[in-house]
Amino acid sequence: MLAIDAAAYRSPWRHRHPGDKAVLAFGLLGAAVALPPWPGAVIVGAVALGLLLGPARVPARQVWRSGRAPLGFAITGVLPLLVSVGGPGGFVTATPGGPRDAALVLARTVAAGLALLLFAFTTPLAEALPRLTRLGVPAPVVEVASLTYRMVFTLLDTAGQIRRAQAGRLGYASRRAALRSLAGIAGALFTQAFARAQRLQHGLTGRGYAGSLPVLADGARIDGRFVSLSAALVAAVVAVTLAVGA
Amino acid sequence: MHIAEGFLPPIHAAAWTVAAAPFVVHGARALTRQVREKPEGLLLLGAAGAFSFVLSALKIPSVTGSSSHPTGTGLGAILFRPPVMAVLGTITLVFQALLLAHGGLTTLGANAFSMAVAGPWAGYAVYLLARRLGGSLGTGAFLGAFAADLSTYCVTSVQLALAHPDPRTGFAGALAEYGAVFAVTQVWLAIAEGLLTLLVVRLLAQSSRAELVNLGVDVPAVKEAKA
Repeated sequence: MLAIDAAAYRSPWRHRHPGDKAVLAFGLLGAAVALPPWPGAVIVGAVALGLLLGPARVPARQVWRSGRAPLGFAITGVLPLLVSVGGPGGFVTATPGGPRDAALVLARTVAAGLALLLFAFTTPLAEALPRLTRLGVPAPVVEVASLTYRMVFTLLDTAGQIRRAQAGRLGYASRRAALRSLAGIAGALFTQAFARAQRLQHGLTGRGYAGSLPVLADGARIDGRFVSLSAALVAAVVAVTLAVGA
Repeated sequence: MHIAEGFLPPIHAAAWTVAAAPFVVHGARALTRQVREKPEGLLLLGAAGAFSFVLSALKIPSVTGSSSHPTGTGLGAILFRPPVMAVLGTITLVFQALLLAHGGLTTLGANAFSMAVAGPWAGYAVYLLARRLGGSLGTGAFLGAFAADLSTYCVTSVQLALAHPDPRTGFAGALAEYGAVFAVTQVWLAIAEGLLTLLVVRLLAQSSRAELVNLGVDVPAVKEAKA
């Protein structure tokens, strides 16, 4: 199982309605992106991190492990803000105000990333997907997404097993060998994915399958108190940001 | 190359969502029509989505000594066609955002435009052109995957340069800067993904010929596939 999804199933907020957590996390996400990065991103980032480590009880190490890849992209992505290539000053020159701009973009990215993690770490995807039809996503698309979700884990497991077997036979000893081994994994996954889908289809056809695999969703209801408190928290973040930034 | 959550200003995030929407909606309609006509095809589409996701989670050794992930858009476009890839690619991006924290929801439109629209269409066009000019399945797959990867990288660089233009040299300067920064890994990655796709389709032409033919891929006779 993937680390974020596994943590979502262990979350104390796991049985809350996805809508509750969407109001809180996506409210903070919207604030992180829409408000001026200083001080908005800093406040949103602090609140999201506090919620992750506090009420949502996500270990700090797990937040770091999940956040470091997008942080790597963000750091690489802000490097061009620090220098100018060409222009009258020379081939490569420091951009005036570059470090400030880079810091603001980095702060906004970190804050928005933490808000997204707040939703991901508390909401199993399997519980959010069936509810997408209510947001206007066509039912067949939701069905494909749900099937994809169910098949992803067995395929990831298969890929891991093949990779370990290949590594034990020096399949990754050189770049050339690694490419051959990866092609072997992709080929085997394609064959297995389609063979499994066909077996599943045969089995379901015998049980009257008509293009839909309904499953019981968690019967959680929207918690008005949680939603009100979330909306109030987001409103407070916006108000404090505008007051401090004024 | 996923643009991280929050990296784009809100107006750019919204604009790229609007730009990607017609392609994704068109793909969703095509998929819905396909499923209504052939309900059993739903399971194959689910398998295709899972295959795309797992393919994008594989690690290709990078020139910088670390590793990168293939986009899988070239192979996906050759196997499932660009309209379906617009939907499968977007689903994969949502999964990557919520299961791996790669990309994001506010940047979903921009990432979908580069990885689920531009990449597959460019890759499929180059693949078709190569085949019509007499290229083998392997050559077409290599060129298609290379073009898909490179166009994804170029579109992402344009998106970043538009969002963060250089104060002195403007959009052109920023495009050169982003292009240079990401070229270190992305050009090698495009070549590596092209080679990987070539090996995969050669393997599939031998082991899963019937499935490829069912998907509408023009597979050569067994003798040519072994060459």
